[in-house]
Amino acid sequence: MPLKGKKQVNVDEAIVGILEELKLTGDVVHKPLRMDDKEIELLYIKTVVDGDQLHQLIIKPFFELGHLHHVASYLNSLPNQQEVQSQEQILLDLTKGSVLVKLNKDLLLFDVKKVNTNTVRETSVEPTILGPQYALSEDLATNINLIRQRYHKPSLTVEMHEVGSKTNQSLAVIYDQNVVKEGVLKEVNSRISELDQDIVQSTTQLQRFMNNRTRSLLPTMMATERTDRIVYNLAGGKVILLVDGSPSTVIAPAVFFDFMTSMEDNYGLYWVTKFSKFLRYLGLFACLILPGLYVAATSFNPEVFRVELALSIAGSRIGVPYPSFVEVLFMLIIMELLTEASIRLPKAVTGTATTVGGLILGTAATEAALASNIMIIIVAAVAISTFVIPINEMSYAIRVIRYILLLFASIAGLAGLALALIGILMYMTNKDSFGEPYFKIYFNQKRAETGDNPS
Amino acid sequence: MSRYFYYLVFVNMIANVVASVPKILLLEKTEGAILSMVLALPLGLVLCYIVAKFFNRFPGKGLPEIMKKYLPRWFTFPIIILIAFGWFMAGMITLITYSFLLKRFLTPDMPLVWITAIFLLFISYGILMKTSSVLYTVEFVLVCCLPVIFIIIIKAYTTAEMEWDFVKESMMYVYRLPTFSALAASTYLLLGGFNLIIFNRFFTKRKQKITLLQILFLGIVAFGSLFTTYFVPIGLNGFEGVETISYPWITTSDALRLELGIIERVLFVFLILYLAVSFLSLLIHWHVSLELFRSVIQIKRLKWKEKNLVPYIIIGVFWIISLQLTKYLTEHQLTIYTSYFFDGLLISFIAMVGLFWFILRRAKA
Repeated sequence: MPLKGKKQVNVDEAIVGILEELKLTGDVVHKPLRMDDKEIELLYIKTVVDGDQLHQLIIKPFFELGHLHHVASYLNSLPNQQEVQSQEQILLDLTKGSVLVKLNKDLLLFDVKKVNTNTVRETSVEPTILGPQYALSEDLATNINLIRQRYHKPSLTVEMHEVGSKTNQSLAVIYDQNVVKEGVLKEVNSRISELDQDIVQSTTQLQRFMNNRTRSLLPTMMATERTDRIVYNLAGGKVILLVDGSPSTVIAPAVFFDFMTSMEDNYGLYWVTKFSKFLRYLGLFACLILPGLYVAATSFNPEVFRVELALSIAGSRIGVPYPSFVEVLFMLIIMELLTEASIRLPKAVTGTATTVGGLILGTAATEAALASNIMIIIVAAVAISTFVIPINEMSYAIRVIRYILLLFASIAGLAGLALALIGILMYMTNKDSFGEPYFKIYFNQKRAETGDNPS
Repeated sequence: MSRYFYYLVFVNMIANVVASVPKILLLEKTEGAILSMVLALPLGLVLCYIVAKFFNRFPGKGLPEIMKKYLPRWFTFPIIILIAFGWFMAGMITLITYSFLLKRFLTPDMPLVWITAIFLLFISYGILMKTSSVLYTVEFVLVCCLPVIFIIIIKAYTTAEMEWDFVKESMMYVYRLPTFSALAASTYLLLGGFNLIIFNRFFTKRKQKITLLQILFLGIVAFGSLFTTYFVPIGLNGFEGVETISYPWITTSDALRLELGIIERVLFVFLILYLAVSFLSLLIHWHVSLELFRSVIQIKRLKWKEKNLVPYIIIGVFWIISLQLTKYLTEHQLTIYTSYFFDGLLISFIAMVGLFWFILRRAKA
């Protein structure tokens, strides 16, 4: 609704006030359009407004239409007209790319923002062989469009919020009204309203701000860039959060097994996907326990394995001058450094880093008797199997958990390793994600297991 | 009942295979251990049925809540403390037995107190969890362990070293009158259902009634585990002198070999599996114990950063008692005291059935 100017003074005052607020900004345009007895005023910020669209929508019609009340009715029937509520809101919308039009005694606001970030990118974080190859863009409207294009249902609801007390980013909460769980939706909304961050720039940041804890290890919301995963989860009754300017979404609630699922599991044949799932859990298990198992088997319980294996492990450690946990720690840390470096380095240099690192981790370390041959194999197996976990946050968390297991294996051998594994399990079962238990076995139908009291 | 009820029963059943129950039974091998087991089966099942039936009437409520509602305070307080102490002792026996076991078979270089402390460290976190989380943990660990345990048991029955002649020899004592300690020890295997006194808080749906079919299923499993607990060590170790072995089942599992496995001696697989299952047993018992203590000891003023300190103090006491007892006890004493504990437990559980009956009368009135 236009701010009805019963008294003309108000509208003029408002414009003066807005100009006062924006006076230091160099890219403000305040332009009166005049022709014969027609007159309107435009006020906008040049850099966020799409000039072509502005010209097409407002300036050209103004000069073509015969009379001022034709212009008024034309402008009032434009679909991208926005509500005018207060001076603050006008200011905020101006910074987002709206144009303020003063028509007679009315203020009208039109959304003609220019977006340069709406190119849809190819999936880079979670690639699949089959399935859609394009991910999201960095523009909220485009992203919602992408999701709606894949989920045609009138019950799909998009709620808009604003987050970040300084940046005022738009945050979209998307869910399917028919299947969403009321409790989860309520929880999500209440946590959004409790957010008191100055700056929220990425959707994944919400993950940290919204879990009610200052310190946490495992992710309880799933970040994804894949539209098919988003749609799959929407249909499953989950809530999707999207921040403007971020090419990924977060999904809530998310339980442990969600992080171990690749979208490709839905596209392949039954036994093939079962096999790849099995591989994934095997990888998870291997990268968790192998370092600890090595320490336990060399320093505490060499008798556990069969004699031949025990002897070959002991044989390959000949010449290594320090206890096994130092050896493992040394090699693991170098491996982590290598991984870290290849993420951060510019693409051109990555090759060098991996080659040099490969040399260190490879034969050189064993020839210098800094690590045993079997250790090299273990580190390689651990490094590879860490990346089998489909969702990045989870594989980072697993990386950390590995060291906890290593610590207890160094303190108490196999018993320590087994107890620490149960300890991690307890940590996971004790967690919950927006009211859903984070880790439990689902034997029954989904609806029977996810109720408020699934006994 | 929901599947979580079975887990409570199963954990007790499996965890005690390795602990003192076979030891106590084998000590009575010429004194009517077999008939005691035969008697224990119906007795245990009846107790199991009664407790499940009783708690079915009060969906979502633990024993403390029920007692507070229907019984006077001066009566509730000592009874709950007594029961909590019983559960604490049950967990303590598992803890100390397993610490001894680890010291002897897996980590002989580590000091005993250190082994116990590692256990306590994880247990302390575990028993503070929500009741539902405890059950999820139990479920996952059991689902991982049960298949392997099953394979080991199959292997034990099918291995060439299993001499059925020894089993037949032991059968010759089937006519001896049952003894109380053997009866108590073998009934203990079936008493996992009594953990419902706290875990019933999780079972909130009314429709989950226990049926006779389910009891029959439990009976078959219990028969299998009692039979295995007693006869497999005899078959593999011989009838003569089997009672002198301190850990009959560990020695039994060491008689088995995985010819093609990475781990050749079944003993180590067995030890790790039972480490997990004993941990669960300890977790369940002490969770019940802690919750019972918490329900009667409430000191509102004892707060630090908005957290009530009472559970932490209780856990501290748990630590001190366990560490002191581990240092003080010997393996032989442990077996004897365990036997006394089982005797007392059977009597007090029958008394507890009386308590249930009393509560039901008050509830109806």
